Amino acid sequence: MLLSSKNDSSPKFSLDVQHFLYGREYRAEELPFSEKVIKTHIKNGYVAIRPAVELLKENLLDLLTGRKKWQCRRCGNRDQEAFAVCTCARCRKKCVYCRHCLNMGIVRSCTKLVTWSGPAPKAWASVNSVARLCSWNGILSEEQTAAANALDQALAAGYSFLIWAVTGSGKTEIIYKAIERSLMQGHHILLATPRTDVVRELLPRIRSAFPSITVSGLYAGSDDNDPQAQLVISTAHQLIRFSDCFDCVFIDEVDAFPFHYDPMLEFAVRKAAKPGAPFGYLTATPPPGLRNAYLMGSLRGIKIARRYHGHPLPVPLFRWIGNWTRFIQHGQLPKTIHEWLMEKKKQGCQQFLFVPTVTLARELTEILQKEGFERTAGVHAEDPDRHTKVAAFREGKIRTLVTTTILERGVTVPGVEVAVLGADDPVFDACALVQIAGRVGRSPDYPEGDILFFHNGKTFAMVQARHQIEQMNKEGGF
Amino acid sequence: MSGSHCLFCRAEKREPLTFLSLLSPDTSTGFCLSCQEQLERIDPLYSCRLCGRDLHSLEPAFVHDQICHDCIRWKQSGRNGLYGRNYAIYSYNGFIKEVMTMFKFRGDAILADGFEKELKKAYSRIIDHRLRFRFLNLRSGGEYEAIVPIPLSRERLVERGFNQAELLARKLGQPIVDALIREKNEQKQSKKNRRERLLMRETPFHLKNDQVRIVTGKKILLVDDLYTTGATMRLAATAITAAHPKQIDSLTLIHG
Ligand SMILES: [Zn+2]
Ligand SMILES: [Zn+2]
Ligand SMILES: [Zn+2]
Ligand SMILES: [Zn+2]
Repeated sequence: MLLSSKNDSSPKFSLDVQHFLYGREYRAEELPFSEKVIKTHIKNGYVAIRPAVELLKENLLDLLTGRKKWQCRRCGNRDQEAFAVCTCARCRKKCVYCRHCLNMGIVRSCTKLVTWSGPAPKAWASVNSVARLCSWNGILSEEQTAAANALDQALAAGYSFLIWAVTGSGKTEIIYKAIERSLMQGHHILLATPRTDVVRELLPRIRSAFPSITVSGLYAGSDDNDPQAQLVISTAHQLIRFSDCFDCVFIDEVDAFPFHYDPMLEFAVRKAAKPGAPFGYLTATPPPGLRNAYLMGSLRGIKIARRYHGHPLPVPLFRWIGNWTRFIQHGQLPKTIHEWLMEKKKQGCQQFLFVPTVTLARELTEILQKEGFERTAGVHAEDPDRHTKVAAFREGKIRTLVTTTILERGVTVPGVEVAVLGADDPVFDACALVQIAGRVGRSPDYPEGDILFFHNGKTFAMVQARHQIEQMNKEGGF
Repeated sequence: MSGSHCLFCRAEKREPLTFLSLLSPDTSTGFCLSCQEQLERIDPLYSCRLCGRDLHSLEPAFVHDQICHDCIRWKQSGRNGLYGRNYAIYSYNGFIKEVMTMFKFRGDAILADGFEKELKKAYSRIIDHRLRFRFLNLRSGGEYEAIVPIPLSRERLVERGFNQAELLARKLGQPIVDALIREKNEQKQSKKNRRERLLMRETPFHLKNDQVRIVTGKKILLVDDLYTTGATMRLAATAITAAHPKQIDSLTLIHG
């Protein structure tokens, strides 16, 4: 359908194309419209088109060495190792393609990305509302209330805001006030997170807090894809399909390990947001850029140094265990670990054992089962039985869970204790260790518990993590 | 595009440090140890002499003289023609299925590099074997003279961007002869009933006119990613047979 605007001399555009493309970005081959229709829209300035994989602006050194550097305009990838060349049957040339976002459909150097550049659809700008939208009626602590107000005021004034909150500070409810105000202004809101788990956990909570709002949850395999939703909760990967869409953005990075600081999240979120949209950052371990901006005063923000239950964060203890992987390879359990596990078994505690690799998780699980810790299971991010094992752990059927990754946030098993085996491994940077330590003592009934770093030589990351936790406790008045 | 990360899972490749690896660290593109372990290599000494499948996983009742029951059925059908046998490197399993999904359907063409070493190794093992047993069968011994990848239809090729069989064939390090054309056979096939299709009266493959000369009187090795029922190979062989090659065998990355 072609729409004619009031001024008859001005060009026309199709409502279908507008609705399909507005706020989105597609590969040209994904469009359900004819090439002719799209070309007319491009000519009249309603649709923009650009190559998906482009050469980065070359610096002098690259020019001298003749080295080419690529970037993916869809996912922001600039890691040259994540590009590859293939003889392309479409353009009959050698094409460079991005390996980083293959799961969203391949983009090659001959692929075109298409976005809407005309006016917003009328239905999109929904009417302002004066009725209350948030039906959550829990009570915020004093600190949470202060943070909620400060966040709301900053975002309302168009400023980005950092909530630097310790793990277990209960921060989801802190953003409700700002969300409600933004929705009342007819805004479209994005809640972005690196983890599928978090999307799945937040979706029902947000839906029940905002019952009259359309909320959509996007993650790999989700079928919930309402393009007109007023509030979208999404993983970074799924955001790849958005462009210039949201008026206000929240990034929830707390407990993001092992996906924290994926540069793609940042890129995809920037692309999905409208220019100038304010950002609300929620994190326990702000990346250096955000932390410095906050400390220098160029980014507004607030620190929450206390958990909602008012107890301090458990501080990690370091235990040297020598070359422990040798033991594991020989099917043995290092003595120090055995002793700790025996003690925990007597006390009837449940524990997470973090290890650096999937292979180690498998081997350690076998050894533990052989050594009399029968109620042990191993789990990793791609484990198909992951949800069953986690459920069994939550029910207490499994006592010890060996894992390579932080499990979903819902797994706050009261009284759980944590050990990191090989805390000196480079996969455990300071942030990961802080977040892992943050699994302990979340429940008000069990605010304490062991957090042990078993290592073969202290690393800077371990010391940093312990320092950050002690610092937060100090700021929390302990 | 350096080789410090696994080509498939992108984990850092942590090879065990040995004296040799210290002297010449393996920086080639490839799969990490954990991915390699998940690939099920077929034991060449105990694989079907005709289709190359791993015989360890078959009931002994289904194997006669190191030939599997499927191949016996093919033999009895009398439809093998000039087609000799297939060689395969890996058995089909959940892991290689994932790798092939990334490779073929998501378009991650560079994954072919990860199989380069094994493809080359398999090829020289085959040639070695053929040279050694040359005296037994003069007609079919020795090197292959033309390596022909199984093509995709034009439509499929454009959709996918590349032909996975050709990428794998190129890794053998031998010249490739792009001798075949594949028709877009969907409608054509659907008009026939199942029995007709199984009888394979008609092949979707055609020999390119200008390639007839290259194929005539030659020993041909067809290359594909997967050998399943063996029908594709025999259909391709039928198309080539018109040009009177000396012999047609095939090599696939996977049997399953
Ligand atoms: Zn990309
Ligand atoms: Zn191309
Ligand atoms: Zn790997
Ligand atoms: Zn066989």
